[in-house]
Amino acid sequence: MTSITLNNVSLVYRLFEKLTLSAPGRRRSALGGNIAKSGTKQVVQALDGVSFELKAGDRLGLVGPNGAGKTTLLKVLYGIYQPSGGTISIAGKVDALFNIHIGFRPEATGRRNIVLRGLISGWTAAEIEEKMEEIIDFSELGDFIDLPFKAYSQGMAARLAFAAATTLEPEILLMDEWIGAGDASFQEKAKRRMDELAEKAGIIVLASHDDALIQRVCTKKLTLRGGRVESLA
Amino acid sequence: MIAALNGAFDDISKAMRLHRVWIALAHEDIGDQHRRTTLGPLWMLVNYFAFVGTFAFVFVTKDASNPSYIAYVAIGMLVWFYLTETITMSVSLFQREASFIQGTTLPLFVYVMRLTMQCIIRAGYSLAGCVLILLLSGYGINTNWLLSLLGLLLLILATPAFVVVFAFLGAFFPDSEFIVGNLMRVGMFFTPVFWVYSGQEGVQEYAYHWNPFTYFLEGVREPITAGIFPGHSLAVTGYFCLGLWAIALLLLGLYRKRIVFLI
Repeated sequence: MTSITLNNVSLVYRLFEKLTLSAPGRRRSALGGNIAKSGTKQVVQALDGVSFELKAGDRLGLVGPNGAGKTTLLKVLYGIYQPSGGTISIAGKVDALFNIHIGFRPEATGRRNIVLRGLISGWTAAEIEEKMEEIIDFSELGDFIDLPFKAYSQGMAARLAFAAATTLEPEILLMDEWIGAGDASFQEKAKRRMDELAEKAGIIVLASHDDALIQRVCTKKLTLRGGRVESLA
Repeated sequence: MIAALNGAFDDISKAMRLHRVWIALAHEDIGDQHRRTTLGPLWMLVNYFAFVGTFAFVFVTKDASNPSYIAYVAIGMLVWFYLTETITMSVSLFQREASFIQGTTLPLFVYVMRLTMQCIIRAGYSLAGCVLILLLSGYGINTNWLLSLLGLLLLILATPAFVVVFAFLGAFFPDSEFIVGNLMRVGMFFTPVFWVYSGQEGVQEYAYHWNPFTYFLEGVREPITAGIFPGHSLAVTGYFCLGLWAIALLLLGLYRKRIVFLI
């Protein structure tokens, strides 16, 4: 049964002062979250006591101002960040749509980029083979698929990236903003694909600044502020 | 400590299961670097010949007619190029892979193996050149070459550990990219790559005996140029590998989850 349970999850990380020969005042990078002191060390409290429970069918919208912890929470759920406190229990295969262009290589053909993207996503050779034609068809790139990615227009590149990234069968889908791509007709097709994806996924967690989108897609809304849960409705 | 080692082994075993990812990415990396050139990856072979030729025929003219010296330089350059490229590229590894590290859940060791694979592919071109030079110098293929392979094998086994150690160094200490780069450039002159140690005292004595790279070189070179089993070199290299791997495993186990916050 697909589910997500977070109990008092926190993420605190040290602002590493990288050993460097530059002047002390120029060493620190600006990061989101609450910056606090722990002894002589500076730490960022990116998430603080976050708890919620989601079960199959739930669509959670994450809202909040910049630096509230939305993307951080998504990355904690995906496993990129390890929480420093609390417990996370996830049942189900998690897929994420954070950066659809990740791993695309300008010199490789569209077809080769699909293979690489598939490998990075953990697909087997058979799965890549099986999904190849579906991705090519969806992207509508035709013969361009065998040309180098760098020869594509921005819209064509976005179509391929979108088609490859959304050929998923997720049980839990994490999204940092709703993605769309291409010209008006493709935008409509992309919107349908996203709706289908949302329909197929057991649970969706979507971080967005678009209230209308959250209202349309999500069944629950979690508001974050300064890494803490402000409300859950 | 045990938990850290378990974490490191877990990361490594996951990465090894994803071998198709790092092999494919490494091939793409090599292809991309030479895609628009006429000679393609053969440029690596040309570079290798240019360096060996320079040292053998120009830089040290008095030994130019000695085939064993040419073989000495050819093998020395092969190993030194491999080591210097591995180490200097490792320092900026996590920075180069930042978008992957911050956007995917691929094990950190995947990036280590991607670079290891890249370095091995590049060295493959130099190795082809080296074999050609050895054959032209009159060193026919014989059983000593198998002993030399032992040295190469140890070198390859040490590579992921070198990559891990220097990649973490670069992540925690970004200035090390330039420091290590300069040290490796200077290091060539403190390592018996092209100069021959024959009992001299002073700097050369220390540079020969207290330099771990010496043993990596001699482990590959001695069987072919001197026709001896490089027992001492292989033993030192073996212990060095074990030490390096111990540090690498600890770094990977303790700090792999922190890298994402550092880059």
